[in-house]
Amino acid sequence: MKQEETSLEGALDDLEQIVEVLEEGKMSLEESLELYERGMKLVALCQSRLQNAEKRIECLTGELPSDLS
Amino acid sequence: MTQIFTVTELNSRISDRLEGDLRLHDLWARGEVSNYVHHRSGHRYFTLKDRESQISCVLFRSNGGSLDFEMNDGKNVLVYGDVTVYRPQGRVQLVARGIKQDEGLGFRHLQLEALKEKLAREGLFAPERKRPLPRYPQRIGIVTSPQGAALRDVLRTLGNYPARIILSPAQVQGEEAEKSIASALLALRGRSDLIIVCRGGGSTEDLWCFNSEMVARAIFACDAPVISAVGHETDVTVADHVADARAATPTAAAKMAIPDLEEVQEALKYTKVRMMRALWTALEWERDRLGHLHHALSARRMYSLTRDCRQRLDYLSQMLEGAEAGMLRSRRGRLELLAGRLGAVGPQETLQRGYAIARSGKSLIVKAADVRPGEEIELILSQGRLLCRILECRNDEEAML
Repeated sequence: MKQEETSLEGALDDLEQIVEVLEEGKMSLEESLELYERGMKLVALCQSRLQNAEKRIECLTGELPSDLS
Repeated sequence: MTQIFTVTELNSRISDRLEGDLRLHDLWARGEVSNYVHHRSGHRYFTLKDRESQISCVLFRSNGGSLDFEMNDGKNVLVYGDVTVYRPQGRVQLVARGIKQDEGLGFRHLQLEALKEKLAREGLFAPERKRPLPRYPQRIGIVTSPQGAALRDVLRTLGNYPARIILSPAQVQGEEAEKSIASALLALRGRSDLIIVCRGGGSTEDLWCFNSEMVARAIFACDAPVISAVGHETDVTVADHVADARAATPTAAAKMAIPDLEEVQEALKYTKVRMMRALWTALEWERDRLGHLHHALSARRMYSLTRDCRQRLDYLSQMLEGAEAGMLRSRRGRLELLAGRLGAVGPQETLQRGYAIARSGKSLIVKAADVRPGEEIELILSQGRLLCRILECRNDEEAML
């Protein structure tokens, strides 16, 4: 398992920043395009993170009751 | 010889014994009400307790029509009645025939108030120390009983939210509950970024472990924000005061713990739109700039055109000035010429040619009849004048030159 994949929160934060910078409109067109692409990738990442959520329940002591595992 | 009782016989005997004891009749008992239930049947059931012990009580409808205060958990009362044995369950109970409110708070409530005051003084309840909940928790710790409905409510509500869920089992009722809850909280140290500690509804007695100092301090010591959800809306425990957030129920706690996934999806969609719009604006701007440049370019061309024009203008105006000067010069020439010609028209040259101007007084004499014989006239010559006297006036034409 990957140790530290980008967290949903991290991705959403990055995204928020990107949108703000983009909206400020102080970048060159090339830079804007680059940011835009990065932003779109992050959107896709977040969406897949939200959709492919599997239930991951662990129990610190003993076993999970059978109806939960 | 050993006598063997059936259970019924045994309870019967106990019952006879107790109910035969006059000291257990028409008595007053003092204690605190807990587990109070006003049953549909009209009977009231509750537990009367003090610091060390408790006893079941019932006030049948026939006896309890007119209570002059409102019964509820934690109330201190004086109960008047008889001790009996409820045989089906072998339970000793106090059948009340009257209940009076005992003024003053119950001992446990006094203790609780003292604890609250102490913890408040230490700053455990201070609003400024409450930590904000993470917006998107990745590891959610849950402290509760693995068997309880509360856990199922929480899990159902968390649904498909993408996070690791770490259950740290605890006993949430009974003797060991305080220690169990405190250790379960401690066990989550470093393992979660949000903790839910919860249990479903129960009597004040059942929830009492959440009023313990040990649990309060364990919650305070957690390295992640804690949401507490104990019992129902109306039950507020010390744990609720210490926790970073309090939810009315376990379900509400789970809702509070995570963002609404649909909202997040919506927000993502909106973010996409915002980025596209921003990029579009950047493009527009670039296009505008292009437009401006284009414009500026043609303006420059215009300018260079003007420069040409100005040169031409200068040239032309120079030409014009030159032309004017020339014209003036020629005009002066013409003037001289004209003056010459005027001079020719004037009398001087004519006089020089031998003509004379005849004048009588101020008027010119142009015909013989203008004067009379003997009249004095003046003749203006090219040089000098002659005064003359008229001898004769002749009107004949032959005299013409």
